[in-house]
Amino acid sequence: MPLREYWRLYWRLVGASARGQMQYKASFLLATAGVFAANLFDFGALLVLYHRIPHLAGWSLGEVALLWGMSAVSFALADTIASGFDLVPAMIRQGDFDRLLTRPLGAFFQTIAARLTLRRLGRIGQGLVILAVAQGEVAIPWTPGKLAVLMVALAAGAAIFFSVYILGAAYAFWTVEGTEVVNTFTYGGTTMTSYPLDIFHGWLRRFVTFIFPLAFVNYYPALYLLERPDPLGLPAWAGWLSPLVATLCCVVAAWGWSFGVRHYQSTGS
Amino acid sequence: MRVYLEIGKRAFQRELVYRTKNLAGLFTNACFGYLRAVPLLAAFEARGDIAGYNLQDALTWNWTVQALIMVVGLWGGWEVADTIRSGDVVSDLSKPFSFLGFWLARDYGRAIYYLLFRALPVVLIGQLLFGLRWPHHAITWAALAVSLALAVSIGFAFRFMLNLAAFWTTDARGVGGLGLIASTFLSGFLIPLAFFPDWLRPVVQALPFAGIVQTPADVFLERVTGWALMGALGQQALWAALLLGAAQGLVVIATRRVVVQGG
Repeated sequence: MPLREYWRLYWRLVGASARGQMQYKASFLLATAGVFAANLFDFGALLVLYHRIPHLAGWSLGEVALLWGMSAVSFALADTIASGFDLVPAMIRQGDFDRLLTRPLGAFFQTIAARLTLRRLGRIGQGLVILAVAQGEVAIPWTPGKLAVLMVALAAGAAIFFSVYILGAAYAFWTVEGTEVVNTFTYGGTTMTSYPLDIFHGWLRRFVTFIFPLAFVNYYPALYLLERPDPLGLPAWAGWLSPLVATLCCVVAAWGWSFGVRHYQSTGS
Repeated sequence: MRVYLEIGKRAFQRELVYRTKNLAGLFTNACFGYLRAVPLLAAFEARGDIAGYNLQDALTWNWTVQALIMVVGLWGGWEVADTIRSGDVVSDLSKPFSFLGFWLARDYGRAIYYLLFRALPVVLIGQLLFGLRWPHHAITWAALAVSLALAVSIGFAFRFMLNLAAFWTTDARGVGGLGLIASTFLSGFLIPLAFFPDWLRPVVQALPFAGIVQTPADVFLERVTGWALMGALGQQALWAALLLGAAQGLVVIATRRVVVQGG
């Protein structure tokens, strides 16, 4: 099947999912407002903290807000696109995944097209607002290069978070059980990327730079935008590495997913 | 009374079954306890004292609130709403004991389980990683027990009322979700209420949500002692009584709406 066909089919399927969510308009709007508010309150807590302190590890409020906004937008994009993968543990448990494998389309495609949870976009709105205010606050001298780094970083950050979701879903092929541990990596990842990595201890900072590369979601791109040196000594062009790192993450995730699908044993119930 | 004790015991035993679920939750709490402690370390490097907290106080607050999430049900639970939606509520309403009392007893059983098997380990992990501030006076432990019992009641009453919204809307979770988000912020879970700006602090400290998380944490930290401690517990008791009363009132109004479909 040509790629164009997949694309058409994808929109058709997630369109149906979206229409389903719109059936209860009031509750849809309420839920979106809830997602928006939840993260706004998180940011409110940061404002309260900054009201008491001049800076956090040498980072001003505006600079941290820039990280915050970038992380929120990337995470929200990934969270929305990967909503179908939330269903995987339940599908495995109930044996519904068997049915997926009998159809003439890939399991990955069917999963990603199974659902698009639109209310999660509430977080994007919130992230964009904070991002816009933050960049004014720190007065970044924008150049085409910097603008490119920001745009690419938002997309690459989303891809990095997306691959975490895929690996989390693949993990369920072995555990069958739910994904609370996976939440630690997704929500924990947003928590970490909402702060400058300078504040974390050496081993954890190296871990999220070289092994589980959350640092490329927003930290290195933000260092580039703010023209700050890296405490770990990576050169300034590390801010440009996000798409490369994201590609690597996606390759690993794709491998993990197909490995999981190959090793999938039906629960038989 | 015996029936409520029995209900609570059953709820406690039900939780005992899910050992791996609790372990996974414990892992998550430990990770977030750590992740949320680190910004505090950085903040206290910039200033040694924030609103009367030193670093150790703040770390103790951090691990205490992390430990309390499940005890006070900070992030909700929609079992009541689910029974309303499915219609099973009818059989609960027709049982020979109080509907509110039934769910309250269950919540206490659940809370005691999480106090022993979640809160305690989480605080011990915090102690191992950072070293926390432990109470200096024996009486604090007694006060803490009272404060926690009241915190569970306030948290329950608030959550229960959000659940009762299911009598009027098909989407209690939507309404309730917003309520929980606001209460999380106002409870002193995200940031100690003492850190709030001076104009806002009296307001947030007077609201019932302070009694769900911040007051038990304050008692544990011995930030309130003597008459102030009495006042804090009194405020919790007042809110618990008011909210439970309001919840009972809501039950009475809601049950007038119940229409049992034959079948």
